[in-house]
Amino acid sequence: MHIHCKITQNRNDGGNNHTLFLDYAFDVQPGQFVMAWVPGESEKPFSLSYDNAITVKDLGWYSERLIALKPGDSIWVRGPYGTSFPVDAGPVLLGGGVGIAALLVLAKRAQNPTVLLGGRTAQDIIYLDEFEKAGTVRVATEDGSLGIRGIITDLLPQEGKYYCVCGPDKMMAALKPLLPADQSFYSLERYMKCAIGLCGQCTCNGYRVCTDGPVFDGVTAEEMTDIGHRKRQKSGGWEYV
Amino acid sequence: MFLDLDPPIVNASGILSFLDIFQLLDRKGAAIGGYITKSIGPRKRLGNENPIIVEAASDGRPTLNSLALPTQTPEEWLDELRETRLARSKLIVSVNGVSPEGVEKIIEMADPFADGYELNLSCPNLVPGEESVMAIVGRHPEAAARVVRAAKSATGKPVIAKLSPDTEYVDVGRACIDAGADALGCGNTLPAIAIDIHARAPVLAGRTGGVSGPALKPINLKMVYDIYAALGSPIVAYGGIMTWEDAVEYLLAGACVIGLGTFFAHRSTPDIVRDTDALWSGVKDYLKGESLESVIGTAHRTVFDLNGKTP
Repeated sequence: MHIHCKITQNRNDGGNNHTLFLDYAFDVQPGQFVMAWVPGESEKPFSLSYDNAITVKDLGWYSERLIALKPGDSIWVRGPYGTSFPVDAGPVLLGGGVGIAALLVLAKRAQNPTVLLGGRTAQDIIYLDEFEKAGTVRVATEDGSLGIRGIITDLLPQEGKYYCVCGPDKMMAALKPLLPADQSFYSLERYMKCAIGLCGQCTCNGYRVCTDGPVFDGVTAEEMTDIGHRKRQKSGGWEYV
Repeated sequence: MFLDLDPPIVNASGILSFLDIFQLLDRKGAAIGGYITKSIGPRKRLGNENPIIVEAASDGRPTLNSLALPTQTPEEWLDELRETRLARSKLIVSVNGVSPEGVEKIIEMADPFADGYELNLSCPNLVPGEESVMAIVGRHPEAAARVVRAAKSATGKPVIAKLSPDTEYVDVGRACIDAGADALGCGNTLPAIAIDIHARAPVLAGRTGGVSGPALKPINLKMVYDIYAALGSPIVAYGGIMTWEDAVEYLLAGACVIGLGTFFAHRSTPDIVRDTDALWSGVKDYLKGESLESVIGTAHRTVFDLNGKTP
């Protein structure tokens, strides 16, 4: 069921990243997502970057519509849904692109996190000051505008108790062989429709990302050959990434 | 038993939907004897924009959906059929029954891989501006019979004709059986709508949808009861089967196969393995050694007629 929310703040976090703050705080576990509906437009999944906010990167017509919302505007939200990252001491968080947003709640709740962030350019590294308040941060950008010049795998190896990953499929596929499967967790993103395990749209090797995920343990992720390989489109047909 | 499903439990078409999900559940040992694909149509179709679902609420508000038959191309389905193997369970291909020619073509394509078919004659959902399959075919005995005949001309395998509770279903069902259908699916979701009071608009992008889950159960249970009484044909039951007791009710009304849909909401893969097993164990415990066949339709034998007997 949708909760009717009002936007309290639409914050530009650099580049085309926006944080939409809502007048409602969700009971969220780190890594869970919500479905955000604008009547007459669409409804799509978003990470909760705060218990009362979603992060939107301007990637298409619907995110453009969301980014145009102003304080006082309505948005309808259902969730939070899905599995979450374990909250414990000494995790290493690995985030890329807008996937960084899904790690912010975890960074604030876990003890002594190490945070490795990757992006094309400095503008992609969102919430940097908040991550730095929560733990130790290292950054890689492809153009060298922040941190080292390179990609997130260049920040490894990194000692830690367990590893939590959220980013583009290609990044997760590149990280899988470098991290210990039995101490790793991966948050996946797929096209979603129902978000409650019924329609099957968001399948990844038969696992429904909305209900079996979005956070999968590394042993399960190891058998998921679709990561970094293919996703189902709106029709259900495969799109190769 | 129809199609020799072991156990006689299937998913409803459009629920779970995809072959890779079936393969995983089959490998993990879910108590689902037959998996039914989403309805394959003659060409790629996107279906409705989101929202496609209205989620049930704790205050009793029911589940509605309107996907409106999205489907990849037949060629893409063929690629997936080729790479899928189910170790334990049967594969039933659902075909969008909107035209006899389309049905024939899809069945010819799928026949090397399918154990049986379900003809979708009854989806109430549409992309605004079109007519539903239910309206075009499912309400009309002659049109439904033409689709069944086309299917039976293309395959020797069992064919289920899935009907709508929002039709003269005994007439449509009789026409389907006369045309060669091996079983009747009773039934699809029931046309319905949900309106958001703050948006002052329908929630579903398709505006209307189909109601499922516990709200649908007494309606489709009566459909099974009526069809069994009138036709006595094998029945695959769908509609709000959430517990083993619901499943038994449908068996007593006349069903021989139990279909699950809304049941799967919020259930992870391990949950499905555990809870389908619990549902089937509940049915077996109830039977206490009686055969399933022997209880089918038994609610028709025990009718209390108190008319005129009370003061």
